[in-house]
Amino acid sequence: MAILNLLFATRNVPGIENIDVAEAHGIYKGVRKAVTMERQAVIDEIKASGLRGRGGAGFPTWIKWNGLPKNYTAPHYVICNADEGEPGTYKDRELMLKQAHTLVEGMIIAGYATYSKVGYIYIRGEYVEPAWQVRKAIDQAYKAGYLGKNILGVDGFDFDLHIHMGAGSYECGEESALMSSLMGERGNPRLKFPHAPLPTVEGVWKSPTLINNVETYCAAGWIIANGSENYAKLGTERSKGTKIISVSGHIRRPANYEVEMGTPLLDLITEAGGVIGGGLKAVVPGGSSVQIVPADRLGPINLDYESCGANGTLLGSGGFMVFNDRTDIVLLMKRTSEFYAHESCGKCTPCREGTRWLFKILDRITSGGGRDGDIELLLNVCSNIDGRSYCGLGDAAAWPIVGAIKAFRPEFEYWIKYKKSPVGASALPPSPEVVNPLLLQAAAAHG
Amino acid sequence: MSTSTSSNSESLREPAPAPVPETRFSAQAHAELDEIAGHYPERKAACLPALWIAQREYGGSLTSAAIQETANALGLSYAEVEGVATFYTMYNTVPRGRHHLEVCTCLSCAVNGAYDIVHKLEHELGIGIGETTPDGEFTLSEAECLDFCGAATIMQVGDKYFGNLTTENIMGLIDELRASESYTPAKLADSIVKILQPGSSITGGGSYTPESLELPAGPML
Amino acid sequence: MSDNRLTQTDVSLNKPVADLVNVKINGVDVKVPKGENLIESARRIGVDVPYFCYHPRLSKGDAANCRMCLVEVAMTGPDGSVRKMPKPQAACTMPAAEGMVVETETPAIVKDRRGILEFLLINHPLDCPVCDRGGECPLQNNTLFYGPPTSRYIEEKRHLPKAYPLSDHVVFDRERCIHCARCTRFTEDISGDSQLGFLKRGADMEVGTFARTEYHSKFSGNVIELCPVGALLSRNYRFKARPWDLMTQRSICSVCSNGCNLKLDYRVEQIQRVNARLNEDVNEEWTCDRGKFGHDYVSSPDRLRTPLIKRDNSWHPISWTEAYDTLVGKLQAAGSRVAGIGGAKGSNEDAFVFQKLFREVLKSGNLDHRLGRYQGPSSAPLLDYFGHNGMGNSIAELEKMKTILVLGSDLSSEQPIIFLRARKAWRFNGANVINALDRKIEDTTNTGDFASVNLIYKPGTEIALLSGLLHILFAKKLVGSDSPANIALEKSFASWTPEKTSAETGVSAADLEKAAYLLAVSPAAVIAGSTITNHPDYVDIAAVLGGLMSVTGNESNVNVPVTECNAQGAADMGVLPDSGPGYTVPATKGLNTGEILAAAESGKIEALWIVGADLAKDYFDPEAAKRALENCPFIVINEMFLTETASMADLILPIASVAEKDGTYTSCERRIQRFYRAFELSDNIKPDWLIFSEIAEKLGADAPYFSARDIWRDIMAAAPTHSAISLKSLGEAGIRWQYPGELNAVDTADAV
Ligand SMILES: Cc1cc2nc3c(=O)[nH]c(=O)nc-3n(C[C@H](O)[C@H](O)[C@H](O)COP(=O)(O)O)c2cc1C
Ligand code: SF4
Ligand code: FES
Repeated sequence: MAILNLLFATRNVPGIENIDVAEAHGIYKGVRKAVTMERQAVIDEIKASGLRGRGGAGFPTWIKWNGLPKNYTAPHYVICNADEGEPGTYKDRELMLKQAHTLVEGMIIAGYATYSKVGYIYIRGEYVEPAWQVRKAIDQAYKAGYLGKNILGVDGFDFDLHIHMGAGSYECGEESALMSSLMGERGNPRLKFPHAPLPTVEGVWKSPTLINNVETYCAAGWIIANGSENYAKLGTERSKGTKIISVSGHIRRPANYEVEMGTPLLDLITEAGGVIGGGLKAVVPGGSSVQIVPADRLGPINLDYESCGANGTLLGSGGFMVFNDRTDIVLLMKRTSEFYAHESCGKCTPCREGTRWLFKILDRITSGGGRDGDIELLLNVCSNIDGRSYCGLGDAAAWPIVGAIKAFRPEFEYWIKYKKSPVGASALPPSPEVVNPLLLQAAAAHG
Repeated sequence: MSTSTSSNSESLREPAPAPVPETRFSAQAHAELDEIAGHYPERKAACLPALWIAQREYGGSLTSAAIQETANALGLSYAEVEGVATFYTMYNTVPRGRHHLEVCTCLSCAVNGAYDIVHKLEHELGIGIGETTPDGEFTLSEAECLDFCGAATIMQVGDKYFGNLTTENIMGLIDELRASESYTPAKLADSIVKILQPGSSITGGGSYTPESLELPAGPML
Repeated sequence: MSDNRLTQTDVSLNKPVADLVNVKINGVDVKVPKGENLIESARRIGVDVPYFCYHPRLSKGDAANCRMCLVEVAMTGPDGSVRKMPKPQAACTMPAAEGMVVETETPAIVKDRRGILEFLLINHPLDCPVCDRGGECPLQNNTLFYGPPTSRYIEEKRHLPKAYPLSDHVVFDRERCIHCARCTRFTEDISGDSQLGFLKRGADMEVGTFARTEYHSKFSGNVIELCPVGALLSRNYRFKARPWDLMTQRSICSVCSNGCNLKLDYRVEQIQRVNARLNEDVNEEWTCDRGKFGHDYVSSPDRLRTPLIKRDNSWHPISWTEAYDTLVGKLQAAGSRVAGIGGAKGSNEDAFVFQKLFREVLKSGNLDHRLGRYQGPSSAPLLDYFGHNGMGNSIAELEKMKTILVLGSDLSSEQPIIFLRARKAWRFNGANVINALDRKIEDTTNTGDFASVNLIYKPGTEIALLSGLLHILFAKKLVGSDSPANIALEKSFASWTPEKTSAETGVSAADLEKAAYLLAVSPAAVIAGSTITNHPDYVDIAAVLGGLMSVTGNESNVNVPVTECNAQGAADMGVLPDSGPGYTVPATKGLNTGEILAAAESGKIEALWIVGADLAKDYFDPEAAKRALENCPFIVINEMFLTETASMADLILPIASVAEKDGTYTSCERRIQRFYRAFELSDNIKPDWLIFSEIAEKLGADAPYFSARDIWRDIMAAAPTHSAISLKSLGEAGIRWQYPGELNAVDTADAV
């Protein structure tokens, strides 16, 4: 059985958003324990657990925690990246909606471990409902003495937690852009190491800053409460513990599934009730930014960082999208490129110009204007963006298209040659009036 | 020294003068802004919250005057604040209808019929993307991923997500919205401003709680 | 107000010279300062890395966006192994580190540059034939050297309105912008008005002013030069010329006293445009708008082009011979009842020959260039208290100050380039600025915006304000009160408690205290402005200010810059009633401006020679000036335009502008700088010095001067302050003359 509810253990407990119920179910046990430990010991626990960042990149969490100065002479900040924007990912939403106390607990522990006195939860502006739950949890935590001054009687352990709401920008999930946005600026990314100091040295307001994803903090809280050994014994050699996978697309039971790292990918499809509306065509396992994998290559993939990486895709943020065999991959890529063109912040040349160009090419192809050489042009434009852009958004815009061409090149060729969709060609007159034939298939899938 | 007439022969338009400033922030709005600004080491950081406040105070959209008033309240230049306001999609720099229908058409929603819903709405409301109905009730937009893909298709209206939408149930929802006072852009801004303030979930009284925190019906584990 | 200071690490130019590290660039080993960006490092061995957005004077904050400067970088590990970074790196922000191996011309980099240029060009209108930037455009140049031969873009280009007017000076072609953020960074980092910003995002992103309204800045012209494409253009220069048709002459700004180095670009006896010329000690590479756009006057159709004489209340053109005959006759008739006013706008050479004519030929000491209220002994009050009569610091030194008190000055208007230095000290070097002024300035570019404390005092209460600050310095033990001088000072300011000061000045005690704490930090400088120099109690204020600065050990950091272009030079050259060239004691002493005007009014002056001064407008008491002008029997004026004062004269001699003569100016920081003639406007226009020299000859003096060079030789001989400064030694950057030790001993006792 692949499902393993650690962070989600209490998600369906009635009233869990209230602190008394939460406490009764063991939330805040981690804070109580943490404050009895040396601060370094907390970081060592996180290290022993093998926890890696759940925001997408999988960076070892303890290294960041360990990177902040080991005393308090000037402000340090703890930031939670709750700007969940990756298409296909909605785990942070549910964590905040139902387990806000778990998140608050994780951040308090991080604050303790890193000598920070102030934390910010950067929540995407659209997430009003989850944000209300976080507000509620913070307010209750203040009342209960988990936040404020001399927390749990520990002299000098002060921690304030503020919510900062975004206002509609995927790019603000990128950690340096998030910091710009938190400081009241446009959501442009900032210079990164080695061009500038690491955030743990100079982050927001030039102060040492820790930034992690919602799920990362939740997991950190669990680890402190339940012991690193219990976390580290789960998962694989280099991907420990569990990962919440947001399943969506053509699937019978779309939902968030917390699975043990290393669970075979196909098991999750089964667990979620199987594909609907047709046979399985492809899966995007880690959010729109990662490469799509055709059905016949899914077999060897397990849900952990290494296995995904070894099979030409990434675990990313766990935005797991399932597509049936009536899905037009070229149209899917057109929509994907539209997303990145819309969300590019515009700061750097390759991403600003390249993402829009990619979309225009794909739009032209799927409007019947494909030309010989368009595939090579797409690949070449992607190669001029990938690795050349200022931040990861450019890379993320290029990878899915390169991946899709690799896996489904004949579909692109078909569109270019016959000016119509290779999928259910008869049902899909590819005239420009049909804004998106994808719909017809979706409708058929449900019908 | 006399300055000569410039021998500039072409007839360029003259640069536009700045719009007339307004002061519409209530005393409470200023108090809220000061409270929120206190969360940050620099007042400038309160730019996003201040724009939320402005969006509420100016009835749901950020006019030039709203941007000027925000800039003055923060001690920033108008251009800086306008740059921020136009960067983020949720700030309405153009007026919106009483309900702003934002249908997610990103990947999972797209393959689950989001465009059918958009077309249905276009057809039924008689407006295109980005347009507002003549009675000012609805503005229709496509949204990038709203990140609740499990309940595709998703639509955000004001401060609420509506999920599992289909072409069958969408018009019923539209009728409900027509009758509703909630889910307006100003309400969205108001919720966010409240969320930013400590104690707003406890103190009750004038405080706001969302009507429903239930997930839309959908398969659950 | 948020504090948008940047630390030193943001601007490579400001970095203290750090340790050297060994890097290898394209196979060449080179030692470079640690942390220097790789564009600069590569330049050291003659390797050019192409770029658009990089600019050494702008912060790194929004930089590294064009991606044109990508290079391959590898790091050498402690074990000697070389590991290449997986992605190419932007050289403009990549700090050099020990063992770094850099490649700038690999096939991958060549491909990357092509890719970037292709991206930049897909939405660029490529309307080079009608673009002012054509021929000097970095986008054209980089495309030529690094770009793709063809474009693969067949989609519709972005279309935006062209030629959008942003201000009287700047017009914006939105289609051409490549989003390098140089202009937006300039308004944030340098001018500080933040008037330009990016709007919208992604491919829709645009540079703009707020709601497309007017671009309000005193420094807007710089963005025209900074823009690496033809997006931001000069309204005046638009469509006037192609860059390759222009001739360029080195010049110095004639609009204010800061001495900006300029390039005059001219064609057919017309200045087409003015660009900044690099001088690290003065304007770096900036100009203010008054300087950049204010030289229109040179080519104005209203310029006077021939001598004019007033007959029957109207002006008649006459020949120079006739003009000279009239003038000589009047001067001879007037005898000693002659006087001269002005000279602050001309060159040093003009001023020197002016006073020489008066002192040696006309035997009169009645001459003065000062139009402000203070006309007391020329060596006081500053020389008495501070040992100099203008600026104690050089402009460049100001950026090293930890605290700068801007006293009684709307600095960005009065001293634009000094303002930029003060702002640089604050933004890049962490200085605190105190803004003390009797009014609040509502302007996009002003000191109050970034000052750490604003002391807005009631008009006229400067002495109270400074006294209160002195009191706090002692009361809070911020300065020692052990020396006898300090003990005395502490006593005499004992009554100036914060409460009393606050009541008098209207400044809160907390702000006073904050300012006092900042002033106790060394080095601290003060820059005093026209509110102080035009104050009736100027001398007393200077005395208290002297006390304030000396107790904190900053007595050498007092700056009272003059405002008119060459007022410093006119004083140095001896256009003063009580001091000759180089502040020597003259044989005859005469009347100062006020006394001359009073004498003229009461008919005691027969002939008044005004040199480029619009007394009726610019004299601190215009009514007094007008009364004098009306009552003086004969007035001759050297002018370029028919000003109000000129119209009240009897004879007008048209004079050459800065573009039409050679010479030197001395800026407010005592920097002597050369400017060169660009073109000849008309045979009938003469430089002032030539007029003085020719008149002197007619009045029987020795051989006239033939060139400005000849005059300089005499200046060196006459002025001890200038004796060691040859024209040649001025070089590109100019030289600040220094006070010889004995100068402080100038006898001021029996001044007028
Ligand atoms: C374009 C882009 C968007 C991102 N969006 C998110 C996001 O929405 N949420 C998130 O947690 N991390 C996001 N990330 C990753 C963050 O930059 C960062 O790696 C993460 O917040 C670190 O937290 P972790 O170590 O806990 O994973 C994004 C990265 C990129 C390049
Ligand atoms: S207008 Fe010129 S300087 Fe400004 S961003 Fe565009 S290209 Fe750069
Ligand atoms: S010069 Fe380096 S990125 Fe523009």
